[in-house]
Amino acid sequence: MKITGETKLFAGIIIATLLIIGIGVVIYSRPAPTYTREELIPVGTVTKGNKDASTYLVEFSDFQCPSCKLFKDAVSELTDKYKDKLFYAFRHYPLQQHQEAQKAAAAVEAAGAQGKFWEMHNWLFDNQDKLTDKAIEEEAGKIGLDKKIFLEDLSSGKYNDKINKDITDGQKLGISATPTFFLNGQKLELFSVDELKKAVEKAIGK
Amino acid sequence: MSKKLNRIIFIQSIIGLLIAIYVFQSFVRQSPIVCVNGGCELVRKSPYSYFFGFFPVPGVGLFGYAFMMVLSFLRTTSNNRKLLYGILGMAAFGVLFVTWFTYTEIFLIKGICTWCALSAVNMYLILILALKSYFLEKNKK
Repeated sequence: MKITGETKLFAGIIIATLLIIGIGVVIYSRPAPTYTREELIPVGTVTKGNKDASTYLVEFSDFQCPSCKLFKDAVSELTDKYKDKLFYAFRHYPLQQHQEAQKAAAAVEAAGAQGKFWEMHNWLFDNQDKLTDKAIEEEAGKIGLDKKIFLEDLSSGKYNDKINKDITDGQKLGISATPTFFLNGQKLELFSVDELKKAVEKAIGK
Repeated sequence: MSKKLNRIIFIQSIIGLLIAIYVFQSFVRQSPIVCVNGGCELVRKSPYSYFFGFFPVPGVGLFGYAFMMVLSFLRTTSNNRKLLYGILGMAAFGVLFVTWFTYTEIFLIKGICTWCALSAVNMYLILILALKSYFLEKNKK
């Protein structure tokens, strides 16, 4: 066996590779951070269910995101079924590539100011491919909103700060896609609606 | 020339090894794989991606690339042709394996994992380079 400069170079590369793998193992072995309820649900966040429930679910969502639409019914089912055992919070995370998402987020907040958050929320998801100003305005009328106030709220940008805070918080929490759920402070890695149901039911103890 | 080819094979083996480790750990920990499409998750969750129902497919890549990395390293210390034959044999097996798995992904799982595709291309390149090294060595006779 001859030890050449090439051998030393290769050995160095192998050691560097092993170091990279070691660092990767350490990083991936770290437990996921747990966030407090106050961190995830700031004052003013729209919520559903029992606020004293020990299980809380926070969703960061985008009205133009098809996956968020898929999860919408599952969330409704869970919040209806476990209204005493689950506290749910809805937060905004309109993605930049969705041109109508920011406007839709403002519309739902404006509807919420008149007590019709969930009505507008459901309509926005059900019609996420046709979120024009006209369609939203028409829907505001249909669900019984005072259109004048609704439109004033939208044009004044009254809810921009709230939506932007949600986005900033989402970025700090490491959100990269929507919907992202946090269950009892821990980020969920979900690939199906069933996984969300199972995780929530497990946390509740069902 | 053969030395240069061995260097490339060595680096490619390390790249393949890193890919295999990343995907393997996701399979073992059942954690999401960063992917440019949704295919990685489809593949990770498919029963076709586990031998005997439990052994993850990337484990084969991990072993294969580690084996070729060690052999290409040893080639810097010895001119024994068996080392090259070892690389060639493993690369040939690797190519058969990645071809079979790509077929499985497309036709059975119906999803393509980006990392698996990258690894497949990497394995084909290693085989080409190993064959080139083989013919270079053969012509030295």
